[in-house]
Amino acid sequence: MLKMGIDKELESILKRVEKPARYIGGEVNMVRKNPDDVSVRIGFAFPDTYEIGMSYMGMQILYNILNGNDRIYCERVFAPAADMEAIMREKGRKLYTLETFTPIDEIDILGFTLQYEMSYTNILNMLDLGGIPLKKQDRMDGNYPLIIAGGPCAFNPEPLVDFVDAFLIGDGEESLEKVCLAFADAKADKLSREAFLEKIAEIDGVYVPEFYEVKYGSDHAISEVGRINENAPETVTRAIVKDIEKAEFPVNNIVPFIDTVHDRSVVETFRGCTRGCRFCQAGMIYRPVRERTPETIEKLAMEQLANTGHEELSLLSLSTSDYSRFEPMATGLMGLCRKQNVSLSLPSLRLDSFSFRVLEEIQGYRKSGLTFAPEAGTQRLRDVINKNITEDDIFSATRQAVELGWEHIKLYFMIGLPTETYEDLDGIADIAKKIMDINYDVRGRKGGRFRVTVSVSNFVPKPHTPFQWEAQNTAEEFVEKHNYLSSKLRIKGVTFNYHETATSNLEAVFARGDRRCGRILEEAWKLGCRFDGWTEHFKPEAWKEAFENCAADLGFDSADDMEAFYNYRERTAEEIFPWDMINPFVSRDYFLAERNKAVKCETTHDCREGCTGCGVNRYTDCFVNCKQK
Amino acid sequence: MKYIIKFKKTGVICYTSHLDIMKVFKRSFKRAGIRLAYSQGFNPHPKMGFAQPLSLGYRGYDEYIEFETAADYNEKYGEEILEALKRIMPEGLTLVSIKEAPELKKTLASMTVAAEYDIRIPLAQPLDEDAKALWSRYMGQERITALKKQKKKKEPVVIDIKPKIRQLTFNPKDDSLVLNAVLDAGSESNLSPELLIDTVISSLGIECDRAEITVSRLELQFKE
Repeated sequence: MLKMGIDKELESILKRVEKPARYIGGEVNMVRKNPDDVSVRIGFAFPDTYEIGMSYMGMQILYNILNGNDRIYCERVFAPAADMEAIMREKGRKLYTLETFTPIDEIDILGFTLQYEMSYTNILNMLDLGGIPLKKQDRMDGNYPLIIAGGPCAFNPEPLVDFVDAFLIGDGEESLEKVCLAFADAKADKLSREAFLEKIAEIDGVYVPEFYEVKYGSDHAISEVGRINENAPETVTRAIVKDIEKAEFPVNNIVPFIDTVHDRSVVETFRGCTRGCRFCQAGMIYRPVRERTPETIEKLAMEQLANTGHEELSLLSLSTSDYSRFEPMATGLMGLCRKQNVSLSLPSLRLDSFSFRVLEEIQGYRKSGLTFAPEAGTQRLRDVINKNITEDDIFSATRQAVELGWEHIKLYFMIGLPTETYEDLDGIADIAKKIMDINYDVRGRKGGRFRVTVSVSNFVPKPHTPFQWEAQNTAEEFVEKHNYLSSKLRIKGVTFNYHETATSNLEAVFARGDRRCGRILEEAWKLGCRFDGWTEHFKPEAWKEAFENCAADLGFDSADDMEAFYNYRERTAEEIFPWDMINPFVSRDYFLAERNKAVKCETTHDCREGCTGCGVNRYTDCFVNCKQK
Repeated sequence: MKYIIKFKKTGVICYTSHLDIMKVFKRSFKRAGIRLAYSQGFNPHPKMGFAQPLSLGYRGYDEYIEFETAADYNEKYGEEILEALKRIMPEGLTLVSIKEAPELKKTLASMTVAAEYDIRIPLAQPLDEDAKALWSRYMGQERITALKKQKKKKEPVVIDIKPKIRQLTFNPKDDSLVLNAVLDAGSESNLSPELLIDTVISSLGIECDRAEITVSRLELQFKE
């Protein structure tokens, strides 16, 4: 017997595509409801493939909360791979939800999660595959779903305002459910679109772009942002879950049939980070640190493992070891996992002696690589970015690791950071070389199979960080630096990887772009751009063409001028940013002060050692449920 | 304790591969709290296995999985295990029955000798020959040669599949041609229904879209 909604056409489509299980739903713990029994239906849309989307915990968190409400049915939608897209277009088959195979234009709300800028063209493509007009102005007539979006990139929503009706800024646990229920009520009360949008604009974290007007000056920069609807707030304050211990967390996670990037049980131990790395957006927009208690973490972990049958458990946070009761918590979980034949994975450990004991225990003879992220090659530049790791830390941990039998060290760096010089690049090579020397020192002249991998990514200035004013390196500058490092890192046993330059420059345009950038996005999509974050699908030529086709419309003399405006210029201290209507709790003054300290190579201490005055505590308590030192 | 469960695989879950279904069972045992025996060695894995893999997209009505519970496991036996699993299996994997198999020395996989399939080939227009004529034209060939892909080499090899066809009936209908076939299956001699379909289509000159063909495995046959 076939399930409702699956028909012969879809069956024959599934026989033609790679990994058809991406498109069938029906997994263990998928929520089944009768759509007629709910007041509102929302499609949670992840603008990438099933394998990536299903590895994203945020979706499982919100799916669990929304479906916990009898009035709401939350279903899932993913971007189809190229082969599936081609067949869907050929057959005129609309993109559908995995739960009930409902075409996405027939549900009430479609909510996209914005995890990275390079997935934006997939959003347009998914709308189009659902028969939904891309631009909201073309959706005014006709019964189309409300298009909303949230996630970290929503902290600068502007490049997507042409396509999205409302954005949810900040923690979605409470705001998304409120928006869904408001929609249900509006439907019952036959509220107009505008009246409904005015209603949800009152919810913390909800940004309705059409209630604001942006004007530009002759220098292309924003001259004025005006509120044109009195019911909208002047600035949109991000939504926050003040106490995550009390927040819902899933224990009935959907278990995919096919292998996904991460197919394991996951418990979020805390949200926020206190370290204050100046390039890091997550470290700013998720403040303050809020913990779950060890008892709750253990309980959630055990229930999830029992309900999913997973073989692996992992912990989720921005920095595993910064959990205030890390040692007892990790020790407890290790014991429980050992009993149940479950492997424990602890990402991003700070390498102190306790971590080594933990790693010895959980990895045994199967040692994966050890990872360090110094981010910059010299102490001077690490001070600029406020990355609190010293060469002594790295080298003493390396020595310990080599003595314990590790054979692979991975190092992560960024290039193009503010104030960077070639001396800082030399520093990267020096660190790699010294790590090799430590190995020779411990293992002898031949050094065994030991290797070091140096991975370099390109710095992308992000909104709501102290570096939001900075210029990005040009493609030429990045390439020159890659080449320089390539020659410097020709060291036996060292592998050098670097990130695609063109994607980093594009990412930067959309990270800090304004409302006009939607035009470029649409043009690129029309020219066939999809899955731009995937090297094998990225089309630099099409993107170049899109820039050229749009430059005049956006008032620039050339595509180069336009790129220079968005990426390669330093903003003045007074610049009005496209994201200025979003209040992330951290004050602009703090960002500016941090930036000024950066230029002077002054560091700022971890705020666990004393408040650094970022401004978050004007809105909420810091260190909820944390054990104070 | 060793057991064999008979199950069916139908509906959309047919688009989940053999290996992924193995993982579903592995996790289902865990979720049901049924502890399995583990193999020894560096990479211990639970002792369980299917009689025969079922190709992606095929339905299966007579599928078998064998498994062994841990030596010190004493919570559930026989029907209780079946009931516990039934409650949590995903839609489309229907557990039919369980039996103890203490006498089993060899694996089910090594005992499998043949499989019966129902194959439905949609037709654009009705065939002008009857069942008997179709059978004679196809089985009347001295050799039925098919191209078989090899695991290691890139070049496919030509093989004669006729000796591997144990039974075959043609049932032409207005809009489809239904085949019932019993084919060699298992480690000693094996014939994939795909090769039967290839050769039927080419020798009878049928035009059809491969993605429209449905295949169901009706029965697995074992050595006595």
